[in-house]
Amino acid sequence: MTRMTRFRWGMLAPVLAITGVAVGFPLGYAFYLSLTDYRLTSRGAPDVVGLENYFFVLTDPRMWNAFSNTATYVIIAVALQTLLGLAIALALQKQQWARDLTRAMLLAPMFITPIAVGLTFRFLLNDQLGALPAMLRSLGIDYDFFGPGNALFTLALMDVWQWTPFMVLLLLAGLESVPRQPLEAAKVDGASAWYAFRRVVLPLLTPVLTVAVLLRSLDALKVFEYVYATTRGGPGTETETIQYFTYQTGIQFFRLGEASAVAFVLLAIVLTLIVLLFRRLQRSAAR
Amino acid sequence: MSIRRNALLAAIGLTSALALTISGCAGTGGTEAPASSGQGDIPSDTEGTVRILMESVPDTDIVVDLVDSFNEEYPGIAVEIETLGFDQMRDKLIASFQSSEPTYDLIVVDNPWMDDFVDAGFLQPLDDRITTTTDYAAEDFFQPLVDITEVDGVRYGVPFYNYALGYLYRTDLYEEAGLSVPSTLDELVANSQALTTSERTGIAMQPQRGYKIFEEWANWLFAAGGSIYDESGAPTLNTPEAQAALEAYIEAFTTAAPANSSNWAFDEAFRSVSGDQSAAMISYNWNLPGLNDPEGASGDLAGSFALAPMPGGKQVLGSWSWAIPANSAASDAAWAFAAWITSTEVDVERVVAGGAAIRESTLTDPTVLESGFGEDYYAAIIEILSDAAPLSQGLGGEEMIQAVGTELSEAVAGTKTVEQALADAQAAVERIQR
Amino acid sequence: MTRRVSPWGIARTLLLWAAAVTVAFPIIWVALASFKSPAQLNDPGLFLFSPNLDNWARVFEAGILDAAGRSAFVAAVTVSISVVAGSMGAYAISAYKAGGSATRFGILAAQVLPPAVLVFPFLTMAYALRIDNTYVPIIFAHLSFVLPVITWFLIGFFDAVPRSLEEQARVDGFSRFAAFRLVVIPQVLPGIGAAAIFGFTLSWNDMFYGLILAPTRETILPVAIAAFNTFRGVELGAMSAAIIIAVVPVVIASFFIQRRLVQGISGGAVKF
Repeated sequence: MTRMTRFRWGMLAPVLAITGVAVGFPLGYAFYLSLTDYRLTSRGAPDVVGLENYFFVLTDPRMWNAFSNTATYVIIAVALQTLLGLAIALALQKQQWARDLTRAMLLAPMFITPIAVGLTFRFLLNDQLGALPAMLRSLGIDYDFFGPGNALFTLALMDVWQWTPFMVLLLLAGLESVPRQPLEAAKVDGASAWYAFRRVVLPLLTPVLTVAVLLRSLDALKVFEYVYATTRGGPGTETETIQYFTYQTGIQFFRLGEASAVAFVLLAIVLTLIVLLFRRLQRSAAR
Repeated sequence: MSIRRNALLAAIGLTSALALTISGCAGTGGTEAPASSGQGDIPSDTEGTVRILMESVPDTDIVVDLVDSFNEEYPGIAVEIETLGFDQMRDKLIASFQSSEPTYDLIVVDNPWMDDFVDAGFLQPLDDRITTTTDYAAEDFFQPLVDITEVDGVRYGVPFYNYALGYLYRTDLYEEAGLSVPSTLDELVANSQALTTSERTGIAMQPQRGYKIFEEWANWLFAAGGSIYDESGAPTLNTPEAQAALEAYIEAFTTAAPANSSNWAFDEAFRSVSGDQSAAMISYNWNLPGLNDPEGASGDLAGSFALAPMPGGKQVLGSWSWAIPANSAASDAAWAFAAWITSTEVDVERVVAGGAAIRESTLTDPTVLESGFGEDYYAAIIEILSDAAPLSQGLGGEEMIQAVGTELSEAVAGTKTVEQALADAQAAVERIQR
Repeated sequence: MTRRVSPWGIARTLLLWAAAVTVAFPIIWVALASFKSPAQLNDPGLFLFSPNLDNWARVFEAGILDAAGRSAFVAAVTVSISVVAGSMGAYAISAYKAGGSATRFGILAAQVLPPAVLVFPFLTMAYALRIDNTYVPIIFAHLSFVLPVITWFLIGFFDAVPRSLEEQARVDGFSRFAAFRLVVIPQVLPGIGAAAIFGFTLSWNDMFYGLILAPTRETILPVAIAAFNTFRGVELGAMSAAIIIAVVPVVIASFFIQRRLVQGISGGAVKF
């Protein structure tokens, strides 16, 4: 072993060791459980049943429904966050007055624990107790926030409220690192602000946007607290997300083996999507 | 490079996983059996610490307040009560069973869990202790509550408090409208509609998916003459009675319940009633003192609420029971506390303080009638508790309740027809029973 | 000379006002609720009322400050470990091109696994090693999602540091590790700060692991807040007070750190 490789591995060792224990172990153990009939109410070692759990969950319409609800949620939430985040970041960048105060305030929602956000909105949007429906009604609008067809959208809006600040933060940072020169050159050439944004700023911002969207999507996939605080998956199964589904199956109904299988199906899908996304990015970068 | 690194990562992960799995299984395998007499009468000089996990509800607060007087009788037993919200408490409780080390010495068990916990060997049988406790008067407990503690003829708990439902309504509004308390399902719907005005709805409902909607609707099912199970324990959710009950439920929801309330649970409904926005609700019997408390959420409306059994006389029963986990480190001390708090004398104190009923004699006790919350209230509770049935029987109670509650929610949301939802609910329960 | 007000300027101001109102409204509503009596809570339109401090007294009695302290402790330990281990690992990955870019994204994928599934393996481990009822399990659980994110963030920062700096340091006689510690690290300090704050948020907000893995009778803040959601209803007033207690310190802190945060991130983390 050369000194350089030794140094390299030495530097990697702490992170590998911690990851091995904190991620590798639970991951390996959960994978083992996914191959067994383990229930929280069973004692001693469970029976290994091979891929039975996987066959079962892959043919369970409830799981696919949960997957599609989650995907819809993530797409709506992240798309809105990106658009709003970009707009707000652009506006903030030019702002001079009360700059720090505005920014600090706009970042606040990120620091509220999601269960509290869920419970707050449950009451804020309540038709009789909440301030928002009362205001809307005085404008003659009657909207059922948690009703059939609307509930999933409302949950996504809660995500937008809490996590657009994160987008703003990343995009603001991205904007600050955009070099001034090309922008000024575009101005000298008489380009419109929109043209300069689309042709100069946006391409330079693409890496930041990719990262921000990826991070937010992975995090939004974990939506649990909002569902738990407001709809419990209803009406019907309209807001049953994948995390809520695994929570019910694994903990409320004790079938941890089956829930673990769902988790690995999810992991496989997400990994595939990431690899596909990555390939495309590489290809477009190469072009 | 990257392949080699990934392989290494995987190897580390797997090795540690394997190693710890083996030691992990060994850890959860055996249960240590701490010294325990198994007897009912616990000497007052017993020493020990009883760690109790409880739900943070007023009934728990009352128990906490009584610990001091328990210590006058048992000075050597320290009682440590940890309180958590319902779901947290449940998750933590199940987590604690996985430990071979004793975590809690006394617990409270909700009725849908009873069969599963017993089946898993989490709980100690209590028959010997109950029968050998002097003057315990176990036959005085309301029978439906005792039935819940019993699995295959063995008692694994003693009642802590009931949460049977009933019809909570505003007497002033009923008088104003010239109505009397509904005695049939049709009257319930008609009254709710008649009480609906521009300021207020007739009934605040709780159609939140899962537990809530099933807990509420099952009362309507009983009122329609239906049942959840037949004599043999098979589900009877796809019957003409069930259909009538669900149709009536949906009719009331669309014509006499608050607008846009399809995700409502207990909280919203209680606030709606106490805030003068709805005239009635179907909820736990012990909400009455809270509604009539001038310091509480009803403010000026306090005093105008009353409780009645459901039309037809039968309602849904919920019940919490004291139980001693198999891995309790202080079973004797735990029983000393459970037996003391449920004894006839202390039960009077507990009920006067606002605790929910478990004993028949307590509700006719002169002290309770005088200093409690009114004779009518206790009379209504006796009626309610004499004819009440839980939502689930047997294993998989929680899953059965969630499954039925999901189908009912589909019907209310209009995503399934009444017939379809009930057929699916029936099928789901049959599948869970298998 | 009068300055022409551009339509873009107006739109920008309007957008920021709208954003500020949207963010502030629920928080103000919660703040108001924390001063309301149970009966007043039933009236959403009530904005002027004589405040009462019962809710505040209740949450302080319930030990909300201790819970916040425990949460801060768990988050601080998690983040400290993550920053040290993460910056070393990230540097190795960045400087020596260990692992392709796919690995860099792969690091994050395990994040999506539901805590409901991972929590029992953690618990089993804790029982097997007899470390249940300590803070070790919850810190490890938090490391499982904080460390990968921090490492991943930091790789980008190290990518932005010119290699020539380190080479110069080596020529000047620094050992590899000394060059890393004394020359490279100062370059990415703002970035480390940004990553640390982000990691802190993740740990601070987690309820699920805290619920099952935190020591008995030592609840962390999100669990304490969730505990106001009871079987007899949500104790809105007390919960509101608890939320305000949880939010105010971080908002004040973010007033002072947000600028560094933006500068830190723009230092180069956001590359792929």
